[in-house]
Amino acid sequence: MSQLHIADTGLFVAMGQPSNSRYQAVRQFARRNDITFVLPERVYEELTVDDLDIEAPPVDDAIDEGWATVAAPLEFSEPIVSRAMDGVQRYIANADERPADEVERADAALAALAAQHLSAGMVTEVYIYTTDIAAGEGAETVLASEGYGDSVTFVNGFRFIEDLVSNRS
Amino acid sequence: MSRTSNRADGDIVRDFLSIADLLEEPQLAQLYAYLAQEGEATVQDVIEDLDLAQGTAYSYVNRLVDTGVVEVTQDEQPRQYAARAIDLTVTTTAGDREYTITPALIDAVGRRETNSDIDTYIDRHGVAGLATALTYAVARERGEVTHRLMAEDLEISPLAAEMILQALRPVVHEHYDFEEAGAGLGELDIGNGTDDT
Repeated sequence: MSQLHIADTGLFVAMGQPSNSRYQAVRQFARRNDITFVLPERVYEELTVDDLDIEAPPVDDAIDEGWATVAAPLEFSEPIVSRAMDGVQRYIANADERPADEVERADAALAALAAQHLSAGMVTEVYIYTTDIAAGEGAETVLASEGYGDSVTFVNGFRFIEDLVSNRS
Repeated sequence: MSRTSNRADGDIVRDFLSIADLLEEPQLAQLYAYLAQEGEATVQDVIEDLDLAQGTAYSYVNRLVDTGVVEVTQDEQPRQYAARAIDLTVTTTAGDREYTITPALIDAVGRRETNSDIDTYIDRHGVAGLATALTYAVARERGEVTHRLMAEDLEISPLAAEMILQALRPVVHEHYDFEEAGAGLGELDIGNGTDDT
């Protein structure tokens, strides 16, 4: 049984810096379970933006330590990838009553990456770790309509980290 | 217009000015939010819990009492103080937009003292910008908006949006109720992820 663990920007922001117990708890979880978090390209770009006001989240530390990696570009030639993309954009637009073409494509990239791996038979189970409920629930809903209802889980990034930290203490 | 209604109008303006004071002074906002959360407290409680010097604590409490947002609930020593509820809605003349100043906003401003992300955000976008971010923070916890939509709307980086949304998350959870969404660790079908092996 193979699993894919897709991480969104919010998970890395919520971890704090490597000296933080939250970061350490996630790293320990990844190592013990032999998990590598996969980041869509757009997520990686968001995390490494040059903003002088902001202390950059430690995504490169996690990559160097071997428990995070950046995904290859999405294969939009695969119909299910574009369908997942469009579906999640529509879902989020609907939640906020705005036109679908105004919805950021990175929100939908989480689901599109999941769809790509599931349809290629590379994995049987996908976990999407995000702090955006609309993106997580949108991914679950759209992939369920593609027949992957039992294969996709939206993991609430905040709950996940809080659970890990309280297990450690 | 009757005398009583004139007087009521004056009360609204007084409330408005008091609240403007709170929003401009994070220490006062922090104290107000503390009293709102505690229900009742003495100046001694304030000194201990907010780590304020005695003179400062008395001065802040008296200012809040003078402006009317805090009241004395027990006059015998030690005096007890409580926050008066704040719920002021500001409407534009066009009547098409309104904003309600809530205890959550005052709480958020008060956290500027102890949260560097909130402090940085107010430096860049002002208290008005923080009020907007707070609206997004509530909508995001309700699953209506994502950090990327906020970033696009406000023309800030998605990372900056995520940072302030996370900084405001404890505030919105303190003041609003949300349904729990998404799975936690226990719902993950992953080996024995927390064993010390």
